[in-house]
Amino acid sequence: MFGQGLLKGLAITWKELFTRKVTVQYPEEKVPLPERYHGRFELDVDKCIACGLCANACPNKVIQITKEKVGKKQYLTKYVMRIEYCLFCGLCVESCNKDALKFSHVINMNQFFRDKVRLVLVDRPAPEALPEEEPAEAAAERPAGARAKTAKAEVAAGKAPGEEG
Amino acid sequence: MKTQTYVLNMGPQHPSTHGVFRIILELDGEVVVKATSVPGYLHRGIEKLAEARTYTQVIPYTDRMDYLASMLMNWGYVAAVEKLMGVEVPERAEYIRVIVGELSRIASHLVAVGTYSVDIGGFTGFLYCFRDRERVLDLLEMVSGSRMTFSYFRIGGVADDLPPEFFPPLQKFLKDLPSLCDEYDGLITGNEIFQARTKYVGIITPEMGINYSLSGPVLRGSGIPYDLRKVRPYGVYDRFDFEVPVGKNGDCFDRFVCRIKEIRQSARIIQQAVEGLPEGPIMAKIPKVIKPPAGEAYAEIESSKGILGCYVVSDGSPKPYRVHFRRPSFINLGYLDELLVGWKIADVIAILGSLDIVLGEVDC
Repeated sequence: MFGQGLLKGLAITWKELFTRKVTVQYPEEKVPLPERYHGRFELDVDKCIACGLCANACPNKVIQITKEKVGKKQYLTKYVMRIEYCLFCGLCVESCNKDALKFSHVINMNQFFRDKVRLVLVDRPAPEALPEEEPAEAAAERPAGARAKTAKAEVAAGKAPGEEG
Repeated sequence: MKTQTYVLNMGPQHPSTHGVFRIILELDGEVVVKATSVPGYLHRGIEKLAEARTYTQVIPYTDRMDYLASMLMNWGYVAAVEKLMGVEVPERAEYIRVIVGELSRIASHLVAVGTYSVDIGGFTGFLYCFRDRERVLDLLEMVSGSRMTFSYFRIGGVADDLPPEFFPPLQKFLKDLPSLCDEYDGLITGNEIFQARTKYVGIITPEMGINYSLSGPVLRGSGIPYDLRKVRPYGVYDRFDFEVPVGKNGDCFDRFVCRIKEIRQSARIIQQAVEGLPEGPIMAKIPKVIKPPAGEAYAEIESSKGILGCYVVSDGSPKPYRVHFRRPSFINLGYLDELLVGWKIADVIAILGSLDIVLGEVDC
């Protein structure tokens, strides 16, 4: 019979009326992101040894690293990602041997102005001398100092989200 | 009375060209007298960009060719480099490649089926296909972290192992898939209006299909069971039991139906791959800096649009000397100019949609 196909299609759409919704009310309700989601980058400055492998792994030269020599060690002073050119391929995260660079679950990276898009993960002056690796009493004090450093870096990293509209 | 033909530009910005593609149509009333396709609006020079990147760094760029089936684009490129280096990919990695590759094929065919329904004028079918494509994308997102541009393949294996939380939703999806395909068949394929628009329209004869080097569902719709996974198996495809669906008449309808049937077959392959997934490493032993020996290699895989070939030339340095992609959409499009002649202007949309082109791949 001609028109049977149309009726069958209508039956399928009718059936859909009584099934559960597959959409969510987005801004209020959010679908959880998977573990491996490629969101905004975060850098653990304490783990980073400023080796530059991530910058070399990037296909688009997104990562710009500035480092200074303090004592015998390389000290990371600036870690800037030109995120507007980023492909979010994850090659930099994969190349990191120290597990310092990671993806976060932050997806809202929109900005009103182009110059605000740039992601500054670390921006700090180099100290005169690095705290010596001393055992016992000094070691107890060190983590606190390191934590303060991390907090400072986080402020630098968190600057962008604070300004987004 | 004297009549004359006139020229109509379809595109470059036309919703049913699925991107930026232009066809200059010379029309006699409603009938196409001459058609000239003008691709190139989305050309980014990926082949040239690849020459300034290391071998691994090219992978994210291959994603941007056929962005609806990125996994398969990755596969074509890494297969060529692996061939050049003579790398043996671990078995587990091959199985993972099959799983994610076939999922990508399903996602791509769902877009093809859905957008074809829109092209013909049925918006409902589109929503059903995209509803289910979402589930595929969620699965692939769990594996690779991205929804469309996965960059999941690596030279010598894959980036990461399949996460344990990936399998339950995958099994559920595979269980649902046959009934979902029945829904598309009920909604779109069985619809009389759809059939009237597509049956015996834009017929590609098997001879012309071969002469124009068409591949994928476009060729198989004409009744030629040429599927690389079957005729020249790469990876571990020779271990799976599946059929190659073919059409009868070579019209738009057959090409469309082929895709839905291929979705069903892909589900079968994934099921077998999940059951036979071996333990082991997911990466071959690859040096940190990839320097293939000087020489060249050409590898082909069956992507969702047809045969994707990749040609890599190495001069022994860490960067490829030349990379070329044989993009199936572009080659399938080559027959369009001739195919359109004689059909009415409404059929132009139906024929173009049935070829299932992706402009990222056409222009590369």
